[in-house]
Amino acid sequence: MKKFKIIFAIIGIVLLTWSCEDFLDVKPSNSADSGTSITTANDAKVIINGIMRNMASSSYYGRNFILYGDTKGGDFAIRSQGRGYDGLYTFNHSQTSGNYGSFWAQMYHCILQLNTLIKNIQVMEDEGNGSDLLSEYKGQALTARALIYFDLVRLYGKPYNMDKTAYGVPLILEPLDAKDQPLRATVDVVYQQIVTDLQAGEPLLSKSNRKGFLNYYANLAIQSRVYLHMDNFGAALTAAETIINDGAYDLYTNDKWENSWANEFGSESIFELAMYENEANLGSSSLGYYLLKLRKVTGASGWFMASDYYLDRLGEDASDIRWAIMDEDETSEAGSERFGSCMKYVGGHEMKGDKGGAASATNIKVIRLSEIYLIAAEAALRKSSPDMTKAANYLNEIRKRAPGLVPATAATVSLEMIMDEKSKELFAEGHRYWDMLRLGWEIEFNDDFIDPVVSIPHREKTIDRSFYKTILPIPQDEIDANPPIGEQQNPGY
Amino acid sequence: MNFKSSVGITPDWAYNNWDPANTDQQIEMYYENFYNAGVYYEGRTPQVSSERALAQLNKRFNKHGYTFSAPDHSINSLTVGGDRAGQYFDWEDALFRTAVYQTYDLSVSGASETTNYYTSIAYTKENGRVTTNDFDRITGRVNLTQKVGKIAEFATNINIANSNKTGFNDTRNLGGNPFLQVRNLMWGMYWPTDYQTDEPYTARYGSYAYNPLYYDEQWDNYSKTLRLSASESVSIKFTPDLTFKSILSYDNSNTRDHLYYSPVHYNGSSANGRVIEMNTIVNKLVSSSTLNFNKDFADKHNVGILIGWEAEENKVDYVRAEGSDLPTTALTTVNTAGVLDANAYYWGSTMLSFLSRAEYNYDNKYYVSGSFRRDGSSRLGPDTRWGNFWSVAGSWRIDREPFMANADIISSLRLRASYGVNGTLPSSNYGWRSLTTYRNKYMELPGGAISTVADASLSWETSYTSNIALEFGLMDQRITGTIEYFNRDSKDLLQDVPISRVTGFYSTLQNIGEINNKGIEIELYGDIIKTQDLTWSAGITASHTSSTVTKLYGGQNIIWWEPTGGDSRTKFIYKEGESTLAIYGKEWAGVEDETGKNLWFLNNDETPDLTVDGRPATYDHNKVDEIILGDVHPTLFGGINTNLDWKGLSVGLGFIYKIGGNTYDAFSRDVAEDGYYWERIMSQEQYDNRWTPENKTASLPMRVAVDLTDALQRSSRHMHPADYIRLKSVNVGYTIPKNIVSKLAISNARVYFTGMNLWTWAKHDTYDPEVNEYGSKGWEIPIGKTYTFGIELTF
Repeated sequence: MKKFKIIFAIIGIVLLTWSCEDFLDVKPSNSADSGTSITTANDAKVIINGIMRNMASSSYYGRNFILYGDTKGGDFAIRSQGRGYDGLYTFNHSQTSGNYGSFWAQMYHCILQLNTLIKNIQVMEDEGNGSDLLSEYKGQALTARALIYFDLVRLYGKPYNMDKTAYGVPLILEPLDAKDQPLRATVDVVYQQIVTDLQAGEPLLSKSNRKGFLNYYANLAIQSRVYLHMDNFGAALTAAETIINDGAYDLYTNDKWENSWANEFGSESIFELAMYENEANLGSSSLGYYLLKLRKVTGASGWFMASDYYLDRLGEDASDIRWAIMDEDETSEAGSERFGSCMKYVGGHEMKGDKGGAASATNIKVIRLSEIYLIAAEAALRKSSPDMTKAANYLNEIRKRAPGLVPATAATVSLEMIMDEKSKELFAEGHRYWDMLRLGWEIEFNDDFIDPVVSIPHREKTIDRSFYKTILPIPQDEIDANPPIGEQQNPGY
Repeated sequence: MNFKSSVGITPDWAYNNWDPANTDQQIEMYYENFYNAGVYYEGRTPQVSSERALAQLNKRFNKHGYTFSAPDHSINSLTVGGDRAGQYFDWEDALFRTAVYQTYDLSVSGASETTNYYTSIAYTKENGRVTTNDFDRITGRVNLTQKVGKIAEFATNINIANSNKTGFNDTRNLGGNPFLQVRNLMWGMYWPTDYQTDEPYTARYGSYAYNPLYYDEQWDNYSKTLRLSASESVSIKFTPDLTFKSILSYDNSNTRDHLYYSPVHYNGSSANGRVIEMNTIVNKLVSSSTLNFNKDFADKHNVGILIGWEAEENKVDYVRAEGSDLPTTALTTVNTAGVLDANAYYWGSTMLSFLSRAEYNYDNKYYVSGSFRRDGSSRLGPDTRWGNFWSVAGSWRIDREPFMANADIISSLRLRASYGVNGTLPSSNYGWRSLTTYRNKYMELPGGAISTVADASLSWETSYTSNIALEFGLMDQRITGTIEYFNRDSKDLLQDVPISRVTGFYSTLQNIGEINNKGIEIELYGDIIKTQDLTWSAGITASHTSSTVTKLYGGQNIIWWEPTGGDSRTKFIYKEGESTLAIYGKEWAGVEDETGKNLWFLNNDETPDLTVDGRPATYDHNKVDEIILGDVHPTLFGGINTNLDWKGLSVGLGFIYKIGGNTYDAFSRDVAEDGYYWERIMSQEQYDNRWTPENKTASLPMRVAVDLTDALQRSSRHMHPADYIRLKSVNVGYTIPKNIVSKLAISNARVYFTGMNLWTWAKHDTYDPEVNEYGSKGWEIPIGKTYTFGIELTF
């Protein structure tokens, strides 16, 4: 009897260990195996949604990238130091501190998702399971990848028209192995890939308005920006004019301009990244709150406001409609008002965002039709056989927002006029610094506005693109994990 | 029946913790920060520099009722005036209190022929040192063993505990951490009320802190946990030698968390009030069955064999509901909210084990045993999830040998040795799976993204341990001790390795290499005096261990960060041949006497600016290479204790000590930072040791408001010796004589006093030397000195 019981027990144990592989196969309840998670068009859409959300993160278009493009351009000023991102304004960057490595990390995280998606769509198409939807998603992915590389190469590499043989960023078009240690490609190679991706994506995209996502016109808009940066004015003009002439978007009339900031997906929005309250919304850490006057509401930080130079420019016409989106800043007093606080990201003066809810839940307007008109004006002016009439006409469509100013004519139109208009129209939309770098113009900072006055040790009051800190350093964390890239650090760091 | 109760208080911290300078000294440092910037860096006259410094002070603090002037344009004439001149608010007093800890425990136990029982009920209440932290718990327990028939016995253990907690403890969270607030952010010049209107001050202070006395009324939280553990076991004696035992145990812990921020609170204002409810259920189910055979043969041989199996399942279930945009501050439930958000998911792991063991001893003199087990875990992939682990051990009771019969001085002597293999699992449940997660919703559409890159062939971390020990007792066990040596080689070390961000990820979990731990431990304990009434004994333990990285599979050094608090405190490096906790960073060369500037050793071929102690050095830390700065592991560590027993009185002291090794200071980048963060308050250490023209041989540099990032670097400036000795516990107890208590139907009564952490000496005296496993100290709430009085009665 005893022997049977013992044998029974032993057999039972052996059987148990063999049959319980299922018991040991515990899968997560909220995640899928990444290798097999993209096998249908619906899967691809879910990944595209995730990519858009990641692009709207605070480390990219959700806040930091927009701040980067304006705090360094001379149109923003700070009132006092020690407030958060003032390191961007003061150029307090080094390899180990203030390196803003979150740009590098977040943008490559997006690129990983895009590379995986493009690869999986290719697999589906090769197996004969392609579809129109899949093609469109592929087009969106290629366009997004081009945009991200365009932003990366401008953050870390020298301007294209300054030195395209300089180091750009690692150019990765396939998902990498965890242990890979990629090296930087040149600025030229990166731009070539950007153009390739945009041109490959263009025919796959829909011309319909894909609110919150990329479409054919967004692709063309990015092309016009990229060609402008490459000084290829003919191609920039062609792309811009296609958008303008196809008529899918309309400029805001003067009476509708202010209200456009309290609504999402207006008639000028070619590419807008959605900021929903329970999604990428940053609350009191949002771009909108950083631009609000200090203590206007609980949590309003007043970190950045318009510089004197910007306000003088806008002040050329007291009836300029763009004054409508500006609010009094903390230095404003009765009798000497100063409208340096920008309300573009809280939904205008009502402060209900663009959906009637939380102020900070306001979408980021990445590409607007106004910018396309100004790109067209500049391209027409600067192309090999300039068309001054076109330049003046395109410029005037935007310049008429300052009704007190004399419109430009083919004789008076100039690059300075176009750049001034761009500064006034696209204030706080993340453009000024990139334009100053590509034009090679001097940037002067309103340091005298800081009160009590302090000196800024990291840069001169006036800089230009020969200053080594106009591009960011490869972050220390990257070099620690990938030592070979340390040899390719940007000069000066 | 037993009754126990104790009350303890913790009035203060156990040691210095970067104690702050007083407010007048803070004001001096603030002025000096800008004055130095003007005079030494910007080429301005003392007058202009002084005016700019005063402008900063006035701009920041006039609104709190203070004015500043310096008639002779130097720090010597710096005077504080204004309506609140001379009065400063004591934030430490306002945010901390004496902690009180009480416990009450009543238990009843008994036994009969067939039944053994033990039941108890206990209550604990703690009011923490932070004024918002409170905790209480009530626990009930029943243990019952019951014999059934001749061969079976059942045992039941049930334990239920209900606890409540409020308040929290962050490491570096600016808003929530009161310890960081009083040491780094809350000036004595910040008052909780506005000095002109007497209303509570609600705006953000200049140092980025908010008024905790006002805002602590505007938020609310609690955490309630109900924990049930029950286990049932049956054992059947088939024969006197063969026993079958099966145990089923179940552990369930259900925690309900509630967090509310009113629309007035800075965390709730942008959403017009926010309330979050979370429910976490943690379940653990273990079933094990064993068959045990134990028999004596021929009166000298004893054999024992055990075989069995065990299955374990762990599961955590999580649900969360969040509401924001609340209609009124009177209601704090999600039900009332305008905007809703929710989350729910579960996770867990399982394990299956087959175990066996064989033991043999001859005449209670020679012992030999071996074991083998095979474990499979869900935390590893199907190809690598099973591991085989075994061990062999033997011991020899030398004192029972005939040749030892005459060695009277040796009362016991045993030699034991073992060698075995065991395995460690990754702490992550799904570490081997590359996953796509769906937390990226966009425009209310589901959004997914690849979230981890993993190694499907991730395997067990295996350790091969050998150890040998000699246990002895001399003079009739008056002196006892153990000397032990161990050596452990661990292969396939599991670690989260930082990788190139270009891959899209920060890190990946891998088996990275091999490490070796070896050491010697000595324990000695003896009765110094032993008489009828008085016994005085003392003991000491000392361990010396060394822990080195022996191999890295990738061939490349791995730089990694200490994971505590997600705060990147200390930078470590794994390098073959070096310690497993090798601190990595820049090598600081001190302060230049003439200028008060930071100096750094180059450790590379760049052109030096100067030499320090004959080595090339520079002023610019960006030019230097990082090197291994030191080792966290100490040379020697252990404890010393001593006990005195006289009649009914017993007095015991327990010390812990550490000699050698280093700690890393994660505070000083906030409280001794050379003037980087203008708006914050600094430590006494910073004030006393900073460079000034009058104190040129200071150990810390000049404070100057030009954003010097030297103090923020991971460097040897923040690495300090770890040597310390602490009187960890003092126990004084008195057992009331039996003749007194028997009159009250009490069979035993004892009163006692315990003191914890009452005295400490540390080689580096700026912060508490009792550091975490990585050797660092940061903004966690520190250890306190505790005084406890208690009583134990048996009826």
